[in-house]
Amino acid sequence: MPYRPVLRSLALLLLWPAALAAAEKRPVTFSEDIAPLVFSNCAACHRPGQIGPFALTDYESVKRRAKLIAEVTEDRTMPPWHADPGVVAYSNDRSLTKEQIALFSDWLAAGTPEGDPAKTPVLPEIKDGWQMGPPDQIATMPEAFTVPAEGRDIYRKFTIPLNLDKDTWVKGIEFHPGDPRVVHHILYYLDTTGKAREMDAKDPKPGFGGMSQSNGEFRYIGGWDVGTQPVELPYGLRWFIPKGSDLVVQVHYHPIGKETTDQSSVGFHYSDEPTAKPWSIIPVPPHFGMMQGIDIPAGEKEHIEKASFTIPEDCTIFSVNAHAHYLGKRMEMSATFPDGSTRWLLKTSNWDFKWQEDYAFKDPIKLPAGTRLDVLMSYDNSAENPANPTKPPKRVIWGPSTTDEMGVITLSAIFETKEQKEATHQALRVYLANQMIDRLLEGSETVFGQVRGQIGAADQNKASKNLEAARAPLLALDFDKDSKLSSAERIPAIAYILQGAFIKNLGAIGFD
Amino acid sequence: MNESIAIFPLLTLFWWATQAGALAAGEAVANATLTRLAAVQPAEAHATMITPLADRGQKATVLFFLTTECSVGNGYAPEIARIVQEYQKRGVTCYGVYAHETAAAVTRHLKDYALPFSGVLDPKLQLARLTGATVTPEACILSPDSRVLYRGRIDDRAVKPGTVRAEPSVRDLRLSLDAVLAGKPVPQPVTRAIGCYLDLPAPEK
Repeated sequence: MPYRPVLRSLALLLLWPAALAAAEKRPVTFSEDIAPLVFSNCAACHRPGQIGPFALTDYESVKRRAKLIAEVTEDRTMPPWHADPGVVAYSNDRSLTKEQIALFSDWLAAGTPEGDPAKTPVLPEIKDGWQMGPPDQIATMPEAFTVPAEGRDIYRKFTIPLNLDKDTWVKGIEFHPGDPRVVHHILYYLDTTGKAREMDAKDPKPGFGGMSQSNGEFRYIGGWDVGTQPVELPYGLRWFIPKGSDLVVQVHYHPIGKETTDQSSVGFHYSDEPTAKPWSIIPVPPHFGMMQGIDIPAGEKEHIEKASFTIPEDCTIFSVNAHAHYLGKRMEMSATFPDGSTRWLLKTSNWDFKWQEDYAFKDPIKLPAGTRLDVLMSYDNSAENPANPTKPPKRVIWGPSTTDEMGVITLSAIFETKEQKEATHQALRVYLANQMIDRLLEGSETVFGQVRGQIGAADQNKASKNLEAARAPLLALDFDKDSKLSSAERIPAIAYILQGAFIKNLGAIGFD
Repeated sequence: MNESIAIFPLLTLFWWATQAGALAAGEAVANATLTRLAAVQPAEAHATMITPLADRGQKATVLFFLTTECSVGNGYAPEIARIVQEYQKRGVTCYGVYAHETAAAVTRHLKDYALPFSGVLDPKLQLARLTGATVTPEACILSPDSRVLYRGRIDDRAVKPGTVRAEPSVRDLRLSLDAVLAGKPVPQPVTRAIGCYLDLPAPEK
């Protein structure tokens, strides 16, 4: 076959420019491209003893998962980070750029070459034990909780007495999961009422059920989610723990296919210094949207809830997070400044209840008094939503259990004075009272169901035994008889509601 | 401990099997019944050689392709165990098939996840290639004469890695087994399994 070499040379000549281009572009290798990405973005969880179901700590383990990694990075399932890319700069952003994501599919296409092992970076070491050093106090769940092999995720609260005999400032909290494979995220609360102990005692199993963040009774003091490294509070801020408080830890458990037990611990780092500045949270709408009148028809694909809150005092915000239940989809907050300019604070088009990230702004943002915060939350109650806990979908209203919904976007805010902080808390209470007035005038049975018998100063379970009776004192203020309350007419109405048992019993609206 | 086991299949794969690629469901797999592989039981790491696809009078054989570390597959463990218990009573033989694992790891996995079958070690992916399985978890139903009657997901609970429905709406494997046992055609012989991937070598060029 003498013509073959000739043909081959011809083919080579024709292919020469392509070959040249390929030679210029270094192929994607594990050692130079993949390892730096995986070691710094995945291996903190994907290592032995951590929550990641398999380790991604060397060439062999990553190569074996190359196709899966390419797939889950492409659809942004991993690394878990739900803020839309490129909208707001966050200091704890763990998402990958488009270019970084493309490296995984390029590497797969190239046949997952290792490259020069000498160029592989060293896997960052994570020391065993407490990352922030030995805590001043370790609070451990009194009993182990059994997580079944399968079924829905479990949200369980555990009461741990702290036995503090004086008011105490906290600079950092570190969580130690008993079984890291099943613990997804944690929220911390303080209870000074003894209510948590009661609820714990009533429930025969360790801890007590419920998904709601506070029920208004407990004071929220932050949380932890998978993949977050524990750090001291920024800017010299401190949490306040009143003496005699019980710690209430809400744990989100995810069954893994076999029964296991968890007995987690919380390490507290105390501080002799009080907080450097007054600080709190600004939740919009307040109290998890309790007075928002959330009522989602069965099957509705995109149910939208909106809320706007104008902040009454200057403050500086440093982080934002969103909370809803299984149906939550879009969670967005923007700020409109007094000069009319606007910016995003949070934009998540595919929010996921499983991950409760706290998004820390790259640089703290100053919000002058008069800045309006606009919140949009959407819910997918269709049968096509794989997260929908009910099949077929049912009507969903506001409530604390997993099959209810709620919704709030919460800012962490620093104030110059205590008065500014208190004025902001008061504005949030007024906001809640206004929402209650609106819902009662609209005739919302669901909101009325929550506030029955505790609406106004004189309301002692009789004045508002039905919705009509509850509306009567409000409509009596409608002097112009337009069936609405103007801002002037609202002044006495708000005063009436702020005196009522409902608002009074809500407890702290922000931090002490 | 990384226990190295010096057990290899006595019969290596026939050359045609490597050439065959993914078989269409229903296609007969000639000589598959002769494939001999090491297998372990939940209680003992000691491996014995078995011929999982040999005709022993079973009405059908189900192979569950698994990896010990795939969270999607592990989440299915209780359902797999229920299927095995229910259908073994009805004359179906079931195996777990593990491609990339040691005997010790498979024994531990069977025990930890309460999987009531033998774990077949398939380091050369012979059974995966015979059946066309590419994912874990993936289930294959084979007739006694080694025709692939069904290949795919156990049910539609898993949407993608990290997204799982509270309840499945279609239990494909159970529906397929019911059809096979009733002597009826399988309604959907091939479905897409969701989970982790078997590390199959790239096809020869």
